[in-house]
Amino acid sequence: MKAERSHSRLSLRALPSLVLLMLCCGQGFAQVGSSTIEVIPIADRVPLAREVHSQHEHAADHNMQFDDRGMVMNSNSDVLPQDCESISEDIEFTVRAGTDYALNAAGRTFGFDVHDYRVPPCSRVTIHFYNDDQVRHQWMLHGLPRYLYPQGMFHLEANGGQHVMGSFIVPSDDATYLVHCDITQHMEKGMKAQLVVGAGSGDLWSVPGVSADFNRPTEKVPRGTWLLMTAMGMLAGAMLITMKR
Amino acid sequence: MRAAVLLIIGLVLSAALFPPQWYPPRLRFEIAQIVGTPAYDESAGSNMTAAEPEMMAPTEEACPEDLLGWRDAQTIDGVEIAAAPTCVADNPYAIAAFVRGTNNVSTDTLLRAGLAPDAVVKGADLDGDGDPDEIHIRLEVAELNGGSPDEQEPTAQFALAPGITPGLWVFAPKSFGMATENFESNVAMDLLRLPSPSMRIEQGDVVKVTLENTHYMPHTIHFHGVDHTYLTADGQGNDGTMTSENPLMPGEARTYELNPRSTGTAFYHCHVQSQAHILMGLQGMFVVEENRPSNTLQTLNIGAGQVRVTSQSSRESYTQEYDLHYTDLDSGLSGIIQRSNDPVEIERWIHGGYNLIESESDYYTLNGRSFPYTFRESLVVTGPDELIRLRVLNAGSEGLSLHPHGHKATATHLDGVLQSEGAQVTRDVFWLAPGQRADLTLNTTNDGLHSYGSGVWMLHDHGGRGITNNGIAPGGNMNAIVYREFLQPDGWPISQGEDMNMFFNPEFYRRADDMAGASASGAETEFTAWFMLRVMGFGLALGLALASLVKLMFPVVRSADES
Ligand SMILES: [Cu+2]
Ligand SMILES: [Cu+2]
Repeated sequence: MKAERSHSRLSLRALPSLVLLMLCCGQGFAQVGSSTIEVIPIADRVPLAREVHSQHEHAADHNMQFDDRGMVMNSNSDVLPQDCESISEDIEFTVRAGTDYALNAAGRTFGFDVHDYRVPPCSRVTIHFYNDDQVRHQWMLHGLPRYLYPQGMFHLEANGGQHVMGSFIVPSDDATYLVHCDITQHMEKGMKAQLVVGAGSGDLWSVPGVSADFNRPTEKVPRGTWLLMTAMGMLAGAMLITMKR
Repeated sequence: MRAAVLLIIGLVLSAALFPPQWYPPRLRFEIAQIVGTPAYDESAGSNMTAAEPEMMAPTEEACPEDLLGWRDAQTIDGVEIAAAPTCVADNPYAIAAFVRGTNNVSTDTLLRAGLAPDAVVKGADLDGDGDPDEIHIRLEVAELNGGSPDEQEPTAQFALAPGITPGLWVFAPKSFGMATENFESNVAMDLLRLPSPSMRIEQGDVVKVTLENTHYMPHTIHFHGVDHTYLTADGQGNDGTMTSENPLMPGEARTYELNPRSTGTAFYHCHVQSQAHILMGLQGMFVVEENRPSNTLQTLNIGAGQVRVTSQSSRESYTQEYDLHYTDLDSGLSGIIQRSNDPVEIERWIHGGYNLIESESDYYTLNGRSFPYTFRESLVVTGPDELIRLRVLNAGSEGLSLHPHGHKATATHLDGVLQSEGAQVTRDVFWLAPGQRADLTLNTTNDGLHSYGSGVWMLHDHGGRGITNNGIAPGGNMNAIVYREFLQPDGWPISQGEDMNMFFNPEFYRRADDMAGASASGAETEFTAWFMLRVMGFGLALGLALASLVKLMFPVVRSADES
């Protein structure tokens, strides 16, 4: 969904305009061009499911705890993924969430104190999730094996001022997983992070402190571009004409 | 000398390759005199029979099948929920939770409703009349059709009508989990929609409404026309305005307190930058019902519309009750949040970039939808000899002249106040200025005055703009009063006129100025390979001519060449 699914489509779509840019503008545009080309490898770990569940149906099949503090969905601290023989390591993260942590993300309103989590393959990851705001926040991970985690999802949700915790065991392959808060606009405004297992499979787009936004305002052509282009064209024409045989 | 020759070659080539589309009419006339008029070209005009099918084939079903059985009459957690006659119905599990309280229903019901356990908490029966009088409602702020740093498509989508997804802000009951239908979908889950939910409380209830600001902009709630103190018991602002309090910042929560002594149809809205925030969708109906024994109300009505669990006082006099929430939206305002992902930039545009004075509304909605979607969920379905209560709110920026065909309704209450019998006007067009409410009694007795009998009778704004989607009709707040014999089992009305399937296609609502080659006179020639070669040749020849001219005009350059 959302950010991840469309990465390859988007970068392909940008190609023709890139080619055009390089053709027309040459090195005068190197600066603008480079910000467009800078291709961040696509982490395509998020599988595209074929089945479509209604929100109401699937909520009922998840393994979840639901109380005053919030909810924990699909926590698993003992069943191993098929490709792991044992738990390689126990890793714990204390994560704080709220508007205070948007400070490390320009143009954002919400955030986590950590946006980049690195763990070894087959490790057991325990998240202690603290919400410092007075409204709900989530730490939702997508792309885990569906035979262990319904919908491939591990989810913590804490009410304002509350703390919840849960664990999951990551598979053995190097991969990058999306972590976010799915309350409308929270991911877009900064609550986006990545969990990198082993060497990972590249960075995701628009992770605060890690990677750039795909739609950047700097991609607008700077003022005076057309004037410069025309001048260069005329200069080239004049040079061509005055060239000796 | 070579330069002069090149200049001439360049000029001649430029003239020869000049695109014929740009020839002046006089020249085209002269050419036709010599070589004759061009042959008849079938592709030069619009061929109606060829063009229509594409636009008229529906891209979605008019009346989607009710797979989850939400339309049926049912009893959930002891709550009897009336059937919904329309195609698309509210989630009955959410209705049950709003009646009993999210603290008094089973976990299964909450999970199916998507509601947080503290969304609507019902407490003690203070007056001992068999219904809870302590009510605590928690609202959040959701953004629909918002922007994203990565996507081109809007996020958490909510379509007013086929293909129409302006950016929206709405109040929504506190929920849990994903904001979309599922991980693979971009469509917002059913609790997140326009309009903000209607709220119903009983006269004398001790009500708390906590706003949990989950949005990136500051907001408040102002209760318009509902009895409330200016300050809360502990001295905090309780009016939601800039004179009573600071706006509630992102991530903060604030509780408003109400203990209304009078009844009536009122409304609530955000009062921060109200010229913009209200018209972004932060507005909902607020009803204070008469106190009656065992009067357990459906505290929230998602998406307004039919009230499936009515109050005791409503049941005493009426067979049915509907909340009709009208508003209008301006794409110039709602587009701002789709253009930038930076809250500071968005705020700059809302404050100083957008000018309400110079703008006009594009979309007119009834219960958050525009026609044809209004026919899916807002039809007033009736039999003969019924008395139906219509609570009407105009929360938009323009006046509403509401006209029921085939009926004359009676306004019993204006702005929530009961009118004396002599002042209760019976007529067929009701004018509601922005912010006004009217309670209308629709009497379906076929007496030639109150009703002219059975049928599918339109119910709409008689101002022409109100029945369009960005100027294209039929759209806007178009709705109908449908007698049951004219309703199909699936909830779609049996009409004898145009095939309404053709409206279920975004193409129908696309404006002509967005459509390349929409009219014969402005038809655009296809960009063929031959045409491209010609344009490239023209550009090169013109460049050659210009360069030669430069060389001829600047002898310094020439002498450098000849040295
Ligand atoms: Cu959040
Ligand atoms: Cu607001």
